Amino acid sequence: MIASRQPNGSAISALRSLLPVLVVLALIALVPLLSPSNRFLSLAISAGINVIALYGLSVLFGQTGILSMGHAALVGVGAYTAAILARDLCTGFWLALPAAALASALFAMIVGIPSLRVGGHHFVIMTFAFGQLLAIVLTNGGDYTGAATGLDLVGPVTLFGADMSDLTRYYLMVVAFVAAAAVASWAIINSPYGRTLRAIRENERLAASLGINVGRHKIGAFVVSGIFAGISGVLLAHFLGHISPTQFASFPSIYLALMVMIGGARLIAGPLAGGILVAFLPEVLNLDPVQSRIVYGVCLIAVILLLPEGLIAGVGQVFRRLLASGQPKQEREELDTASTTPSEVRR
Amino acid sequence: MRAVDIFIQQILNGLSIASVITLIAVGVTLIFGLTGIINFAHGEFLMIGGIVTWLAVSAGLGFPLAAVLAILAVGLMGYILERGIFRFTLERPTNGFIVSLGLIVVLQHVVVLFWNPNQKSIPRPLTTVWEVGGVRIASVRVMVILITVAVVALSFRMITASRYGRALRASVEDRDTAALMGIPVRRYITGVFVLGSALAGLGGALLIALFPITPFTGGTMVMKGFAVALIGGLGNIYGAVAAGLILGIVEGFSAGYGFSQWTDAYSFVLMILVLLFRPHGLFGGTSGPRMAS
Repeated sequence: MIASRQPNGSAISALRSLLPVLVVLALIALVPLLSPSNRFLSLAISAGINVIALYGLSVLFGQTGILSMGHAALVGVGAYTAAILARDLCTGFWLALPAAALASALFAMIVGIPSLRVGGHHFVIMTFAFGQLLAIVLTNGGDYTGAATGLDLVGPVTLFGADMSDLTRYYLMVVAFVAAAAVASWAIINSPYGRTLRAIRENERLAASLGINVGRHKIGAFVVSGIFAGISGVLLAHFLGHISPTQFASFPSIYLALMVMIGGARLIAGPLAGGILVAFLPEVLNLDPVQSRIVYGVCLIAVILLLPEGLIAGVGQVFRRLLASGQPKQEREELDTASTTPSEVRR
Repeated sequence: MRAVDIFIQQILNGLSIASVITLIAVGVTLIFGLTGIINFAHGEFLMIGGIVTWLAVSAGLGFPLAAVLAILAVGLMGYILERGIFRFTLERPTNGFIVSLGLIVVLQHVVVLFWNPNQKSIPRPLTTVWEVGGVRIASVRVMVILITVAVVALSFRMITASRYGRALRASVEDRDTAALMGIPVRRYITGVFVLGSALAGLGGALLIALFPITPFTGGTMVMKGFAVALIGGLGNIYGAVAAGLILGIVEGFSAGYGFSQWTDAYSFVLMILVLLFRPHGLFGGTSGPRMAS
């Protein structure tokens, strides 16, 4: 509906960026047919839950150019909302979803309105500080937030009367949520709103001079990222069955930022690739957690120095340069990921 | 103990922690002032300074020698990282910031890999405790405060009075013009990185003399260092020292009067408030070398 406002050609090219992601997700949804191990399913579920949050971060960082180091805090607000609602009001999974999305969006607004008054790097530190503060508040929250031990979450997740708590079913549900998140973020990117955000990213003053309300749109983008994070938080809380403050402090936020940058924040395939790579690379390379953290860090530094647009875009660029050297450069956003994404993600 | 004794006691405790925080903040603020890079890995430099001290003391060296080794080792590390990584991010300071996040992860876990994640401590280099009136003064805390005062005063002197300091301040003011005047700005950037890192190395040595440390100590310390640098105004060394004193004393009192679980929150709250109402800090800072964004 949004893409149809543009000329036909660009609508098709916009669809072409989404299709490979959906194809890959469809393939991922078929994995249970191979009867994978429970360990694989758990890893994939946590990766998927991260990817949902990453799609929010990609709207914020990739489109608007605002880096948040407090994204895990927004996930945490969602997770705690779900846990507290389930405990006090016996609210189920599906009611917790909108409630948590709303809570995270509200928290994002409360943090965003003051934080976005200060520019670029100061904002990053502000989000970092708010993330740490949230963890401290949750730790000192007494029985209400379960203090340092956190909260337990009981109660099955049902869908049309069917119990979804089974690992395979939960896996399929998370894949569906990831697909929804990808479509939502694709719709935002290809809407006039997305174009407005990119205008702000490229040149804030120019955007303001064109009558764009920069401040309001930045807060808006932060709130949108909060909605994604809140939903991811509900899925996380119901998957783990137990949440604690340290899961949502600043270092998890750093890892989220790392994933989105490794994948490439501006591409629709980026969050998916980043989330999957970071979750499965240690498995493939057979690394222990300490070694894998070192590898992530080195990857992040290498990606920033060598492939600032992220891995997928970088590989895509190299690929296209090999295929068609001499052709004029395309715009970065229109990178044709169709030829590279599937092989890259499966690695 | 009388109330006034507790008061003096807390001020002393607060000041010794403030010393370590100030050492980080001065490095952070110097590096930011010249390069615009927010180096979050600075806390890991401090942690590694502590680890080097621990290794040296465990190997049988005395504390003074171990501290010198920590300063040299971390200074060298700063040199290598600036030449190897950070100089490629000078055009886009945000990238430098992101790279420093990656460095945090790498440095923490390399230390965990080689020397396990457990707490590490050394025997106190000075064990004397003076009793003055009702106040118990641990000489090791006094040592930490005095060393910090001496080092920070020396850095001040270098920056305000020597010709190198003048060239440095000129480069902070305007990198391009300073370069046109024949100041080797790139070399000054490297120098500031090494100096900041060496101060963090010293901070680490002093920290482990006071408390046990873990490979994850750097994370909380750097946040406090940043809070102090921001409150003082990024790029403003005087501000950093003054803010370090304020934060150290506030934390000392809070711990002494039964709010210790909130101690870590003060730096963040103070920082958020200062950024909101005085974005350039209480004492005014630079906004960095003409930031791209």
